[in-house]
Amino acid sequence: MNRINEHPILGEPEKGQLVSFYMDGKPMEGYAGEPIAVALKAAGVMTHRYTQKNHEPRGIFCAIGRCTDCVMIVDGVPNIRTCITPLVSGMQIQTQDGVTALEVSDETL
Amino acid sequence: MKRYDLIVVGAGPAGLSAAIEAARCGMKVAVFDENAKPGGQLFKQIHKFFGSKEHQAKIRGYKIGETLLAEADESGVEVFLNATVAGIYLDKEVLVQIGEAMTHFKADTIIIATGAAENMVTFDGWTLPGVIGAGAAQTMMNLYGIKPGQRVLMLGSGNVGLVVSFQLMQAGCEVVALVDAAPRIGGYGVHAAKIARSGVPFYLSHTITKADGTDCVTGVTIAEVDEAFTPIPGTEKHFDVDTICLAVGLSPMSQLLKMAGCNMVDDPRRGGQVPLVSENGQTSIPGLFAAGDVSGIEEASSAMIGGRMSGLAAAAYLGFLSEQDKDKRLADLEIALDSLHQGMFAPGSKGQAFAKTDEGIAVSQSLLKKGYLDDTDLERFFHRSDQTDKKSGIHPVIECTQNIPCNPCQDACTRGCIKIGKTITALPRIDAANSCTGCGLCIASCSGQAIFLVDEDYAPGYASITLPYEFLPLPQKGQLGTALSRSGQPLSTAEIIDVRSAKAFDHTTLVTIKVPVAQAMTARFFKPATHAAGQ
Repeated sequence: MNRINEHPILGEPEKGQLVSFYMDGKPMEGYAGEPIAVALKAAGVMTHRYTQKNHEPRGIFCAIGRCTDCVMIVDGVPNIRTCITPLVSGMQIQTQDGVTALEVSDETL
Repeated sequence: MKRYDLIVVGAGPAGLSAAIEAARCGMKVAVFDENAKPGGQLFKQIHKFFGSKEHQAKIRGYKIGETLLAEADESGVEVFLNATVAGIYLDKEVLVQIGEAMTHFKADTIIIATGAAENMVTFDGWTLPGVIGAGAAQTMMNLYGIKPGQRVLMLGSGNVGLVVSFQLMQAGCEVVALVDAAPRIGGYGVHAAKIARSGVPFYLSHTITKADGTDCVTGVTIAEVDEAFTPIPGTEKHFDVDTICLAVGLSPMSQLLKMAGCNMVDDPRRGGQVPLVSENGQTSIPGLFAAGDVSGIEEASSAMIGGRMSGLAAAAYLGFLSEQDKDKRLADLEIALDSLHQGMFAPGSKGQAFAKTDEGIAVSQSLLKKGYLDDTDLERFFHRSDQTDKKSGIHPVIECTQNIPCNPCQDACTRGCIKIGKTITALPRIDAANSCTGCGLCIASCSGQAIFLVDEDYAPGYASITLPYEFLPLPQKGQLGTALSRSGQPLSTAEIIDVRSAKAFDHTTLVTIKVPVAQAMTARFFKPATHAAGQ
């Protein structure tokens, strides 16, 4: 419901190939080459990380790689700016909790 | 170490323009940009630009971006992407991070065109997911085809806030309100009017006091502010929204210039810390130039001219261009830049309140406070002594009441009905002696979507109004809906009697509605019976 299928000025948005990736272990779909943050937004994910001291949620803020609010753990590497990192098939994305991955219980999967 | 005649930092409108001019003079030019794609913010600008022909007016920003990229390619400019300039050293040496590697490059001249970053404001809950910059909204919807949210509140009524609000509606989002702590709308009245007539309320002298939500934004509270910008208790209003968009100004990203040792100045009118520069962008360090927003916040059209000027100046500095040729070409560009720097929104007039237009007409206070012209304004602006107006037969009604640098309507009318003259900030005048054919080119040419074709004699008791429409789904001939007033209030049932699209209109569809003749001068928008605008 977040995707724009047809735009009055830009027409149909150009999309890459539909691929699968994993968000905290849960399978999701997005278009290859689009920023990870866009694929997550389309899937309704708002929280990308929690701050280290106060455990406050953070999500997309500037969307151009400047503010670092949207950093997550991507394929095991923390602090990846998801708004400017292209989605690749099979990527493992994890919510970042401080500087490590958020612990996700199996029941939520 | 790789050597170039010129290194440009930033592949936005200013940087690319500078690189193109320099390369055309024979210089070997490298452009570094930290982003994966060149063009800066141009590819997010889907509205038609203002200005005149020489400024590429009535062309949408992303099209101008495509032209710039083609020109850079043809002129042999080397563009390095994902390349962050991390340091700038003595003798024009720069340190660039490309991927994981740090590489040194050397040039004889440098042009810094790093642009600007968005300002922020803080309020309770401002860090919640769902609070985003206006630039983020543009990036998501115009580059990546995704809605930033379903229901959005916009903070900031400058041109960015106004333009992005309209773009949000075009993307299919609902804009619930536009809020600004200032007592007046900061951007062009024509941009505000486009939003107001689709029913979005403006709250001037208001600010956000709280964003609600625990995991993400679920609502927002605004309150009126007093003269010291302090919220007044008891004036709070709440909106259910999932997104809060901040458009509260830009600051030059001038850190590299400071690092290089340029003389800097803190100039609030230019947006903050900016280098001291000559008119060609020459900083206090010979051979080091600054162009575009980094040397003072303006807009893309002036950034492109400024970029070209600094590119030519760099070429002359190294002897790739004779002083005589440089002076001649810079003089032309200065005239083009000067014409953009006129009128009520000129850089030198920032924040200034104008009581009258250049023509001596009292400005619309309603437009400044509510975003639309009220009935008393119509009398002043449409029955002016400097124009002849008509009340029968098809004729243009131009709701352009502020002195802004823009004149495509004059060029669009082949019949000479629309006159602006040489000063492009003058208000357009109607010359009713020349008869209008109803071709509609003026409507599509108006970047402010402020021109309407009205025919009071369409049918007994009915008038037709042709208006610009840039939403989906497009209305169909015979479709019924509601005619909305300038303030977005429903007036009556309206029937679509014509829908025109043409390549020359560039995605602006001309929709003609039939309304009771009494509404000929009040109905200004069409809301389909079953859909809200843009949904």
